[in-house]
Amino acid sequence: MLQDNSRPARYATYVLALTIGALIWQAVASRTNPAFLASFTATIGAIAGMVQSGALTRALASSTLVFVTGLGAAIVVGMGLGLLLARVRLLRIGLESYIMVLYATPMVALIPFIMSMMGFGFAPKALVVFLFAFFSILYNTVEGARSLKPEMLEVARSFRSGEWGIWRDVLVPHTLPYSMTGIRQGIGRGLVGLVAGEFFLSGTGIGLLIMQSERDFDVPGLYGSILVVTILGVLLMGIGRALENRFTAWQGLNR
Amino acid sequence: MSAPGLTLSPPRSGLRWLSPEAAARIAAGLAIVAIWEFAVWMWAPAFVARPSRIVAVFPAVITDPGLWLAAGQTLGAVAQGLALAVVLGTTIGLAIGRVPAVDRFLQLYVSGLFAMPMVAILPLLTLFFGYTGDARLATVVFAAVFAIIINVSDGARAVPPEFVEVSRAFRGSGWSRLFDVVLPSSVPYLLAGLKLAAGRALIGAVVAEFYAAIPGLGFYILYNTRTFKHSEAFVAVALLAIVGVLFELLLSRGTRWLLPWYRRDEARD
Repeated sequence: MLQDNSRPARYATYVLALTIGALIWQAVASRTNPAFLASFTATIGAIAGMVQSGALTRALASSTLVFVTGLGAAIVVGMGLGLLLARVRLLRIGLESYIMVLYATPMVALIPFIMSMMGFGFAPKALVVFLFAFFSILYNTVEGARSLKPEMLEVARSFRSGEWGIWRDVLVPHTLPYSMTGIRQGIGRGLVGLVAGEFFLSGTGIGLLIMQSERDFDVPGLYGSILVVTILGVLLMGIGRALENRFTAWQGLNR
Repeated sequence: MSAPGLTLSPPRSGLRWLSPEAAARIAAGLAIVAIWEFAVWMWAPAFVARPSRIVAVFPAVITDPGLWLAAGQTLGAVAQGLALAVVLGTTIGLAIGRVPAVDRFLQLYVSGLFAMPMVAILPLLTLFFGYTGDARLATVVFAAVFAIIINVSDGARAVPPEFVEVSRAFRGSGWSRLFDVVLPSSVPYLLAGLKLAAGRALIGAVVAEFYAAIPGLGFYILYNTRTFKHSEAFVAVALLAIVGVLFELLLSRGTRWLLPWYRRDEARD
């Protein structure tokens, strides 16, 4: 089974790994203080309770709205600005190093500023998601723009391609795979921003669910809500990878 | 640059040292500072940070021992956490890369915990370690270790089989195969993973300080913004940005200096 790489065999090993993991969790929890470690069954029970009471659905709906707003804005602005920088060389050279600096800056450090300027509510949280995701998308799009060979533009121009044609046939297809890498990174970073915003700005959504169970010493609820966030992270990461592969497939093994 | 023979005026001798690229960078920088200053002056309340006020408070903040104490605490935790994460991550990563059973068993858990937003683990870590520096250290390790595991295991998997065969043909022991063949050829991947891990570790440390009010740069920022000293707090943000950029440059250039034989500088993230 370990050498077999076929799809059913892989899934079988995954199921086996998860089962063994759950058994180990259950066994360890039965020998540990329940104030620190909730058992696997208690955790699943807590999740089922949250689903039944509707708390989980409400939390996920609220978080999704914040996340989609912030990420959507980051994708539109990041790709738009990135493509513009791809076309205007001097602007790109001027801004490149600053974008790199902001890409490497831990954006969490700005949360206290956002709090004291914008207070609580929906907008500051969406802004945090935006800031976390934006520079990944912009940075990667600009990286793509930088790798665009001037000859490609020259060929397009010598075939009398207009500005619209250059964008449609050269610029966008060339930088899109890079942007997709940026979007995948941005999805991951944006999720960190979402939970950080819900923790430190005003408690809503899935972040509030986690904090509330901590405050109530509801250990199974704490493990349950963290497990939900982890599954959310895995799903979003999967979507990001699928997007990236969909748009980079034609590049072959060069990337 | 104009074509030869078309020069209408002699090149400006005074600015010859300034390439158009550098000029564009400086102009863009000045424009950013000017827009920032103007926008805050125009629309934002008086306490909001803007360049002129940051410059005004800069000497006082930079000579404040509190800032450097905070920086030492945060960066010390980051360094310590990264060291732990490298040891732990390399060990687990090598096991995953070389032993198929370990790979199959841990794959889901490693990629799951890597995809998990690290902020979410904070309540759990403060439950285990209390509202102390240990919780911050644990957050840093948690934030960093999975990026290293994933990249090292990629590296250990990518060892050319011929190398392993040669080692086996010369009757090298299992340990020698591990330390002389697999480990060295995984180092570039380790550095790529470390680059990613360093950025995440920095975020982890700041986030833990916010959450648990642990003294350090993050708490310094939190405290100063709460007392409406935004410009003072901004100096600490700039310090974090400098550290972030240094990590990024050091580790991307470092791969080229330390391992000139290797060409791959993309981390799996």
